[in-house]
Amino acid sequence: MKIIPPIDTYPGVVRFCETRWGKVALLLAFAIILLINGVSYWTELTLLAGVLSFLPEHREILLSLAALYWLVVHKDWTRWDFIHQITAPAQQPEWVVNLWVAALLAVIFGGIWLFFNHVRRRGGSFTARRPVQVLLSVYFAMLLAAGTLPLQGTARMLLWLLIALVAPYLWFFAYALQDAGSKSADRFPIQFGSFHPFYMSPLDSSTPFGKGRAYLRKTEARTSKDLSVVQLKAVKLLLWATFLHVVDALFVFLVLTERRRSSVILNHLFDRLHVTIPNFAVPDLEAAIDLTAMGVRLPVHVAWGSLVAHFIEALLAISISGHIAVACCRMSGFNILRNTYRPLQSQTIADFWNRYYYYFKELLVEFFFLPTYVRHFKKYRRLRLAVATFAAATFGNALYHFFKDFHYVTELGFWTALAGFRVYLLYSTILGAGIVASQLRSHKLDPNRPWFRRALASAGVLVFFCLLEVFDYEGRAHSLRTHFAFFMNLFSWRG
Amino acid sequence: MDDRLAVRGIVEKLLQQKGDRGGFSDSDLLLTGGRLDSVDTLELVVFLEQNYGIDFSDGLNRDDLDSVDSLVGLIAVNVSKK
Repeated sequence: MKIIPPIDTYPGVVRFCETRWGKVALLLAFAIILLINGVSYWTELTLLAGVLSFLPEHREILLSLAALYWLVVHKDWTRWDFIHQITAPAQQPEWVVNLWVAALLAVIFGGIWLFFNHVRRRGGSFTARRPVQVLLSVYFAMLLAAGTLPLQGTARMLLWLLIALVAPYLWFFAYALQDAGSKSADRFPIQFGSFHPFYMSPLDSSTPFGKGRAYLRKTEARTSKDLSVVQLKAVKLLLWATFLHVVDALFVFLVLTERRRSSVILNHLFDRLHVTIPNFAVPDLEAAIDLTAMGVRLPVHVAWGSLVAHFIEALLAISISGHIAVACCRMSGFNILRNTYRPLQSQTIADFWNRYYYYFKELLVEFFFLPTYVRHFKKYRRLRLAVATFAAATFGNALYHFFKDFHYVTELGFWTALAGFRVYLLYSTILGAGIVASQLRSHKLDPNRPWFRRALASAGVLVFFCLLEVFDYEGRAHSLRTHFAFFMNLFSWRG
Repeated sequence: MDDRLAVRGIVEKLLQQKGDRGGFSDSDLLLTGGRLDSVDTLELVVFLEQNYGIDFSDGLNRDDLDSVDSLVGLIAVNVSKK
């Protein structure tokens, strides 16, 4: 029995949703479910999905207009707290800061447009053949300069503003520049629609969901029936996200100490019903590691409880937010794959990595794994696979996070920010090693082996990723020693 | 052996390794549709390198590996270059 019925396979429902009233009913359901899930921009998202539903022939340009609208009206695509902090010494009024931001954005988009056209002309130059490498190198150079050079005043402010404004768009630009080299590439104004597209607004992420235009072109609904099916899939996915939301709320309420207080609705509901619900009083992983840093040795069951609870909640959170963003994209007419797909059924570490956060994995595959694989160690099959995997899961993964958290470079300076990144570097190295080992033996696995062996394999994969969570730390406050101490605490070993 | 048959053979083998026994047409987008993943991409790259001498050093367009039709097209283009 399925929790959510497969409405996209019912011919009568599909036919109804092709009609005007069917579309209205779908949009109404979409709006209500977004509202239930607490998506703050549900009205704008529904309105835009509605326009795209009724005018599918103008989908490309409408997406670009929607992206422009979101860029101008909403300010959550970049870290405005950082922008205020960096412009504060200049003591400029808000409108002047906004003017600086607008001017720099014009420079950034103009520059990328020129670069895009340069790649499209298919010149044999290095910059046209390897545009993503050039883009990432330029961003790295800006970050290095800002973090090491003794810049002051306007020069410092402008450089940091430039970094803060490029950062959220970096990987979207990478997809566009990669597409620029293909024969069927869209023009830049159309590519613009895939830069922080409006359907990504429920997410706080710079990972392009739906990748770039190349992928969107291939997944676009071509007929009214296709559109009806993909929109029904969107509603189905939203219903699933709602179910997971309820599971998440109950899980937090039952297990996590601090977070229980913020479960306003459940607290109110159970108070009204005069029902006392127990709480396992498990601290958040962050709180548990804070305690470890202060020298507190946690009881082993509390340490494990905090780690397992964190892992379960992280799985639920990424599933919910990803499902909502993918559903919004599907509602716009693109049948893109889910970001998280049955991770508990993973049979190998590589399989989990593919199912857990698909669009982040795809980014690493596209810009690190495949370019390394096709260029290096061609005669040594295993070495080739290992090097390409480390290039993606370790180097690319670490680089993505170092670039994303550029504010640490402002606060600590480049080298200190890099040195403080050791915990995440260890995380990504272990991850890379795990994926390599998994890939090297995955071809030996029989997909038809008995259920208990498959269940055992899934359990092993989950234990690996759960333990790895100890080191999945992008902050700079805690040292490697603290994380190791917490890890040893799990096995009652003394650090 | 006919290129199309050879390509269908490797794709079928990759799908079977995953326990995917559903049929596929020559135009089905197998990477875009999620039936083949990045590890399968590598198998396809090695297959094309070893059997047709295709060199991807200048870049790999995953669209070329997405379906049987696109794979056969890629082989045809590279064979005609030689």
